[in-house]
Amino acid sequence: MLSRTAENLYWTARYLERADSIVRLLEVAYRISLVPNTKEGYDNEWESILSTSGTKNEYLSVYKEIKKEKIELFLLFDDSNSSSVKNCITKARDNIKMVRTAVTLEVWNAVNSFFYNYYDLTKKKYLSKDLPEIIDLVKRNVNLIKGTIINTQLLNDGFDFLILGNYFERADFTARIIDVKYFILLPSTSLIGTQIDNFQWSLMLRSVSSYRAFKWAYGNSEIDYIKIIDFLILNSKCPRSLFFSVEKINYHLKRLKKHYKENKNFSSKIEGLFRKLKKLSVNDILDEGLHEFLSNFIKDISSVYSDLEKKYFLGS
Amino acid sequence: MILNIKHQTNYNFSSCVPRLVQSLRLYPSKCKNQKVINWNISTSIGQLTESHQDALGHKIYNIYNESLVGKQTIVSEGTIDTKDFQGVMHGLEDQLNPFCFLRFTELTRPGDKINELSRKIIKKNNEIKFCHDLNIIVYETINFKTGVTNNQTTAEESLKLKKGVCQDYAHILISLSKIFSIPARYVNGYLRDDNHINNYSSHAWVELFIKELGWVAFDPSHKKCIDENYVRISCGYDFIDASPIKGVKLNYPGGEHLNFKIDINIQQ
Amino acid sequence: MFNEVINKSNIRMPYNKVFNWAEALPKNIILKKQIQAENLFKKIGVTFSVYNNYDVSERLIPFDMFPRILSSMEWMKIEKGIKQRSIAINAFLNDVYHRAEIIKAKVIPDKLIYNNPAYDIRMVGFNVPKNIYSPIIGTDIIRTNEINFNVLEDNCRTPSGVSYMIENREIMMRMFPELFESLNIEAVDSYPSHLVDILKSLAPKKCKSDPKIVILTPGHLNSAYYEHSFLADLMGVELVQGSDLFVNNNITYMKTTEGPKKIDIIYRRIDDEYLDPLYYKNDSLLGVPGVIDSYKTENVNICSAPGAGLADDKAIYTFMPDIIKFYLGEEPILKNIKTWRCYDKKEFKYVINNLEKLVIKEVHGSGGYGMLIGSKASKKELNIFKNKIKKAPDNFIAQPILELSTVPIFDKASLSERHVDLRPFSLIGHKKFKLVNGALTRVALKKNSLIVNSSQGGGVKDTWVLAD
Repeated sequence: MLSRTAENLYWTARYLERADSIVRLLEVAYRISLVPNTKEGYDNEWESILSTSGTKNEYLSVYKEIKKEKIELFLLFDDSNSSSVKNCITKARDNIKMVRTAVTLEVWNAVNSFFYNYYDLTKKKYLSKDLPEIIDLVKRNVNLIKGTIINTQLLNDGFDFLILGNYFERADFTARIIDVKYFILLPSTSLIGTQIDNFQWSLMLRSVSSYRAFKWAYGNSEIDYIKIIDFLILNSKCPRSLFFSVEKINYHLKRLKKHYKENKNFSSKIEGLFRKLKKLSVNDILDEGLHEFLSNFIKDISSVYSDLEKKYFLGS
Repeated sequence: MILNIKHQTNYNFSSCVPRLVQSLRLYPSKCKNQKVINWNISTSIGQLTESHQDALGHKIYNIYNESLVGKQTIVSEGTIDTKDFQGVMHGLEDQLNPFCFLRFTELTRPGDKINELSRKIIKKNNEIKFCHDLNIIVYETINFKTGVTNNQTTAEESLKLKKGVCQDYAHILISLSKIFSIPARYVNGYLRDDNHINNYSSHAWVELFIKELGWVAFDPSHKKCIDENYVRISCGYDFIDASPIKGVKLNYPGGEHLNFKIDINIQQ
Repeated sequence: MFNEVINKSNIRMPYNKVFNWAEALPKNIILKKQIQAENLFKKIGVTFSVYNNYDVSERLIPFDMFPRILSSMEWMKIEKGIKQRSIAINAFLNDVYHRAEIIKAKVIPDKLIYNNPAYDIRMVGFNVPKNIYSPIIGTDIIRTNEINFNVLEDNCRTPSGVSYMIENREIMMRMFPELFESLNIEAVDSYPSHLVDILKSLAPKKCKSDPKIVILTPGHLNSAYYEHSFLADLMGVELVQGSDLFVNNNITYMKTTEGPKKIDIIYRRIDDEYLDPLYYKNDSLLGVPGVIDSYKTENVNICSAPGAGLADDKAIYTFMPDIIKFYLGEEPILKNIKTWRCYDKKEFKYVINNLEKLVIKEVHGSGGYGMLIGSKASKKELNIFKNKIKKAPDNFIAQPILELSTVPIFDKASLSERHVDLRPFSLIGHKKFKLVNGALTRVALKKNSLIVNSSQGGGVKDTWVLAD
């Protein structure tokens, strides 16, 4: 397969996942705005959304002040924000458009109509009250596209690159969400067990759409930080956990190796990461330091990406 | 006259160039005015490959590099035996009809100044004499001065300044000649010049096509036709087209520093 | 003006069945089918991009359901004529880049060739594989009466539109299968495999195995990008951009997930000056540095050859009948349109005095740009053009205002006459010629308009060639 084709497929999936992540963040913020008397935490929350999406500096250079409507507009539609949902969708479509023939007509149609549906939204003035509807539209479309990929794509190397894009983005994003809020997961805080804590934890779970899943996994027992760390980092069944993403990345890199009949073990770094996570316990993580652990994780993942890029995308 | 020439070009790339292709027109032209006794081109880094001989007779070499960073030196050197034919070029391996050289380029397109100058010139029926006239007019209109023009200065602009270097003289002569329907082209080469204080001996001049004689080489910055002190390397429509080394860097954000040195001496 | 469907109040033979069918279609069905057709096009994604309009830069070319129909007799003449022209064009290009006999014989003035920017001096003396410079030619033909088909323009560089020929058919077959059952219509879907065949016959000298073909596109912002990806898909070849290729030691490679792969034939859909920044535009990133060296050392073939565009220059067009006679010793089967060359003093005078009766075209323009239709122009526009021509007579030609034939379209569910042209796509390779039995019909959607270009509001029709 042409190197650029692989790269375009990878980024298509990556941008779609990013659009999805950003609206999930907005969903959490929206939920906060429905809860009364959280003025203080409120601004913080909006700020951390910007941090998590990696756009805080970009935002402040344009808007100067933290303001709900402005942030919404910035994250959804702003052309100057390279990670706005609009830009993510446009880039996803640009990428897939360049490799139209590497995906099924169904997948192309799904991405293309997502683009047009979202584009229609930009034609009218944005009102905050439309937010839930927009969030729903994005989530629905991204899920539709992913389902279409799984249901219609040939399981060839192109498929692997699509899935890889999805999980590299997710691993990175989940790690950053936890990292931005890592302090609320530390045992030393004096707020443990308070209302605020519970509320913060549930927000974190919601931001990765895992609140219900968490309940499924851990029953009705009380939420605590150990369970959350376990769930979001180490749980093999939670599709948002770091372990889950690493396992997927490892699996698809191995498939590529087999597909291309390569002898050299490309995926050693990822294999190491996978083995490490498999053995790890929450206490190990806390011993290393949660923030340290996450920083290292983000570094490791990006170095696996560099190898992937060098090997498959640069093509020479 | 037997000349030993060493032309050394040094590049310094501040950061890594992922892929670099350089196209070299550094091999002296084959013709009766100059006979190559031996010639060698080399590069300190990268793969040097002979490509093809083009329609103008250039023997083209390419250098291919991957992940190049730091210094690169390209050396073109050898011994050549030159003869004086009063500028008339003999035996060039050039397959082009001279009328191809009536087109203007960005650098040679006449503007108001050049047109104005051309209107003052009285055309002679004797083409040879007329070409000499044009050569002298350019020489007398422009004052040699370095540093006022650069390699993107057009003929029109340098005429406005009335100043320039050999390259500007050449562009103006090309532009004027074409106005009078005389095919003209830009030539790059070396000039052995004892009077020059600078060790700057890369030079540019012009070939004009005269029906009775074929291509004749005029040097407007020295008011004469070329002789055994000149070595012809490459030709084209203008400075850019004829340039002896062209390089294309892909995905390269860094800086590039260039200097070159040419030594010419007479073999005793 | 020639009406292709109704002549002297009789329905012409090829249209017999279809016209009655169209007239009998209930209005609500027509409207429904029109929406269905549009949805199908949208779904497939057949679009073309419009320049200077980045935001929503894609449009559908309007498709009209009433087919353009040619009888097999009519088609035979067109085919013969196009074959003759394609052979002559390639012979002409080979000649002017080598011995230039046609200039020595004074059939064409030397200035017209040597001073022509489309004449690429770097191609002089180079032997292109099998002497084929322009393997794919799109010939614009107009019909003026029952027997006359005239050539308006030859497109020898990178003619586009062939994807519409195939897609229009696909959509008509999906919507009106009954028509295809009752009429004997020649198929067009074999074009991509013929194209592969033709290109493979033009492998470079140093290619010793099954030649590897790629299509080189300027990228997804190009107006014809859809077509590039459509062809790559149906030909089973990679669609590449300049950055996907690189040259090392005169060999052209494609970057793949499995490392570099050697390339033998580049079917390029980018213009000459973007091919190789070492030889042409130095600031362009669309091309491949070193690819011309790879080409000149016979490691790769570039189709069409750089400099092939000389043959479709409008100034050369006027000499096409002479070119055919010179190389083939035959009379042209398809005639040119009467054309005045403004560089000729006598013809110049006629043009200047009769502007309002003529179409003025800039020699190097294309796509309907730089064109003046005298009868429709204001006094001011006429004066502007008069001055332009006086300033640079070499740059203009003039033609009579043509009476393009008409075929009806469904205009809000009822039939209404519109002007059409015809663009068949011929393929010429090593000892091979192929013209699929079909073409692109472009139609002016405005009543009485003569401009059929899609960039200026024209539409398309499916074109049927009836088998005997």
